[in-house]
Formats: sequence, C-alpha cells, structure tokens
Amino acid sequence: MDSQIHKIHQQLVDKTITCTALVQEKLAQLEQNTHNTVNAMLNTMALDLAAKVDAKIANGETIGLLEGIPFGIKDVYMLQGTLATASSNLLKNYKSAYTATAIQNLLNAGAIPLVKENCDSFGHGSSSENTIFGAVKNAINPNLVGGGSSGGSAVNVAKDYTVFSIGGDTGGSIRQPAGYNNIYGLKPSYGRISRYGLMAYASSTDCVGPIAKSIEDIRIVLNVMSGKDIKDQTSYASAEITQAQISNSEDIKTVGYFKNFIESPAIDANIKTDFLQAIEKIKAKGIEVKALDFFESETLVSTYYTLAMAETASNLSRLDGTNYGNRIEGDALKETYSVTRSENFSEETKRRIVGGNQVLSQGFSDEIYLKGLALRDTISANFEDDFKNVDIILSPVTPNTPPKIGDSLKDPHAMYLSDAYTVGFSLGQLPTLTVPQGTATGLQITAAKQNDELVLKFANFLKDTI
Amino acid sequence: MSKIMTVDILSSIKGAQPSQAVNKLFDVIKNAQPTNNNTSNNNHNNSVSINDLRDDVVIESSAIEKQIIIENFPKEKNGYLVVSKVIEE
Repeated sequence: MDSQIHKIHQQLVDKTITCTALVQEKLAQLEQNTHNTVNAMLNTMALDLAAKVDAKIANGETIGLLEGIPFGIKDVYMLQGTLATASSNLLKNYKSAYTATAIQNLLNAGAIPLVKENCDSFGHGSSSENTIFGAVKNAINPNLVGGGSSGGSAVNVAKDYTVFSIGGDTGGSIRQPAGYNNIYGLKPSYGRISRYGLMAYASSTDCVGPIAKSIEDIRIVLNVMSGKDIKDQTSYASAEITQAQISNSEDIKTVGYFKNFIESPAIDANIKTDFLQAIEKIKAKGIEVKALDFFESETLVSTYYTLAMAETASNLSRLDGTNYGNRIEGDALKETYSVTRSENFSEETKRRIVGGNQVLSQGFSDEIYLKGLALRDTISANFEDDFKNVDIILSPVTPNTPPKIGDSLKDPHAMYLSDAYTVGFSLGQLPTLTVPQGTATGLQITAAKQNDELVLKFANFLKDTI
Repeated sequence: MSKIMTVDILSSIKGAQPSQAVNKLFDVIKNAQPTNNNTSNNNHNNSVSINDLRDDVVIESSAIEKQIIIENFPKEKNGYLVVSKVIEE
C-alpha cells in the first residue's frame, strides 16, 4: 500500500520525524515553488498546530491517523480568520468569518492546513488561468496548464508540496486537473460531503472532494469529510468505507463505456488507443465490457453550462460591493453595484453571469433553461438505466492532453468542449474518480449514485490490472 | 414588470453583451429533443423531507465571527457600516 498518510503517521509515531520539521519543509517547498499554486500561506496556524502534535507525541499520547498530516485547501473554502479570495479581485481582501464543515472535520481529525490554493476564479475555468495569482503551471510540464479549476491543489499534490488537497468539483474541476497531473481526484456523490463553507458556483452540482496520490489516502480523507450536516440540507448520512471493503472486487462483473466518447472525432488518437487497450486488459480479467449509447458531447456540455451559468448568475449576485467584496463607489447604489462588478470580475466570470441571466430571463427561460433542466432529467434517467446493466462506467478524463498556457483563454468555446467527458457525471450527481492510469490524462471510474465505495473498489482492481 | 431589461442591467455589469461562445452552447439546447419535457418529474430531486427540516432557531454567531464580518465590510464611519447612497428612481 502506497499511502502517504500511513507512511507519515508511522514516521511521526516512531519519532523518525517531528511534525514541526515536516510542516516547515512543506511550507518552504510551497513558498519557493514556481508553479503559481499558492494564494496564501498559513504558516502561523500550521506551525502552531504542528507544535501541539509534537507535544502530544512527546507526552506519549496516541495520535490519530490524520493528526499532523499537512494538506492544502482550494481558495474557495472558508477557514476562519484566513483570506478566501476565490482567486478574484472582488474578494482579494475577504477574510473567512467561519470554517467550512468539510475543512472543520479535517481540523477536528488533526490534519494541518498549509495553504490556500490557486484556482480559476470562482471555479470558472478548466485551466487555472482565470486567476489574479498567475496561471498555474502543470506539475509534469510547466509550459502546460495545471488544469482547472482546482489546478493549484492538483499541482501541489503532484509535486508533494501537500500530502493531500481539498478541491471543489462542479463540472470536472477535481477530476480534470488530477488527470492532467497524473494523480487521484475524487468527486464524491453529490451530498456525501457538506457544501457549507464552499463558495457556491452551481449549487446543484458543486461537490467537495479529495485529491491525493493513492486510493487509500482518498478513502481516509473522504471518510473524515463525509456525513450529514444540518447546515447543508442536501447532505446525507453515509457509512464509513473500510479498507477491507474495497480490497476485493469480485462483485464487479460488468463494466460499460460510452461508445460516442471514444468514436468522437475530437478525441486524441493516443488517448483513444490507450483507452481501448485498457478495456482489453479488463476483458482479459474475465469482466464483461459493454459499449453503451450516450448523449453527444455537445449536448452534455451545453446542458451543463446552461444550468451552471444560471446558477452562478444567481449565486454571484450577492457579490456587489455592499454585501461582499471590494466596493468601488459610484454616484448611486446601482452604479456602485455595476462599477464594482464590472471592474472586479474576470472576463470569464462576466461571460458566465451574463449567460446565466440570458437563460433565466423572460422569453428565454422556457426555450433554454427549462429545456436544459428537462435534458438533465433525461441524462439522469439514462444513467439509471445504464447502472441496471453495468456495475461501473469507465471513461477517459479528457479528450486531449493539457493545452499550452495561454491557449484556453483565446477560445472559451473550445475550453467548454474540453469538459465533454466530465460534465455528464456532474449532472447525474454520480461518484467519479480519476485514476492516473490507462491514458495520458488518466481514466474516470463512475458508479451509481451514493455508491462511492464501488468506485474505490474498482480503482484498486485497475491498479493491479493495467 | 413590463419593462425590458438588457443583460448588462440584469447582470449589473457595465456594457455586458451576450457572447458568441456561450450562444453556441444555447443553440445546441434550443435544437435538442429531451425525451422528458416535464420538469416536475425530475429524478435528481434534492428537496428535503418535511420531517427532516432543521429546527427554526436563532444561533448566535461567535464574537470572532461578528468581528470578521465587520472587518470585511467595505466602509465604516463612526462605528456605523456605510452603504452607498440610494437614489429613488
């Protein structure tokens, strides 16, 4: 088992390292890094917490598995007393008044936050270039994008600056950067982890999730963050997933994949070949593989963006310089609102807010927004039917390898289409894990809603198979 | 509410215009044929059961939370939070 968490835990218990030395080392790596992954360092808090862990160990007290483990937080989460900028000008100086439930659960378990991580502003982007902190550079090739929107989090994990990081995934924002940086990233079932304290982008698909270097670390962090929270009424109670439960995959008999994802003219030739080879290896293990029909990529992407833009237009309406954000004074209240928003939002955020207001406005809502909702229902129904016939759906994470820094900003429509393989599972609210195997940008493993355990189980199987 | 509002007014963003990149997405939706056109019949319903609603109680914020909320407010004068001047239209 290649769990970083278990390894560091053992080193702390054996006193081969101190927590303070570990945290100092990681903080130094983060500060010196040239990948633009950092929005704010949390040195004081991290070192204080590390000293407490060291004192506990020195006193002979037992420490929990996550106690003293350093982690990163995408800069869209609240952590009381620290900046929460969403990588935006508007919230450049905004301080969290409270702590997100998922993050609080990690703090309660003793994990140590090191850094607020760079991302696309308000989660609006697939490359982590749409940020006031500079484009995040890919961990493997710094000329390429880090992926997005949780790009800083994925690069920090890939470079070992953090042991794990907490990303946010609305349409692929954990899975795609995990794929671009060859690590694991999980979007759990919608509602498994409370969204309280995560800045809302599109509330009906927003998910909190872990990014890490092993399935075991994903499992540990997922368990700690999961659970029903009175402050997010869409959250649900879930049972802990044990190591034993996911070690044997004998009950996975059938795997499906979407034919049109693979037959699409937009897919990179190598990603296609590698994906089909992975399928052959799975078949060779005696698992039945079924090619499934699914919606065209354009329909998936358009449905997702229609609904996500409508929701973000509504969610971001509070950012007006009066309730929140850097106010720029105008002659009157409405002028103040519009100057504040015009000057402080990025071009991509403005594009999405305007798109959202377009589809929500009278005369367009029936033709676009309501039809988008109906399409989403059809997509969800399609998934339900599929999971009557297969246990797992396997897909590439992206149609192509990461673009060069600068290219995505030139062509927003192409950037939207690059989310073709991730957005469908968001609309279905399904648990989906990126594994760094199979293709250059990994594979996605999806199971039926609330069946996150099966996803991890199949990931363990794949690790030994391909 | 018969007044027609343009997207720049609706969005409170000066000079905002619909973008071509986004309109291309909407065109796909306009031409799509969902098999289920009844939005009330949705199967991704996240509504909360009436038996599961949280208690209707006021929870006092902590002193630090109140302090940070005040710190975040853009403008303060003589202990009051200042909002922009509202001109009646």
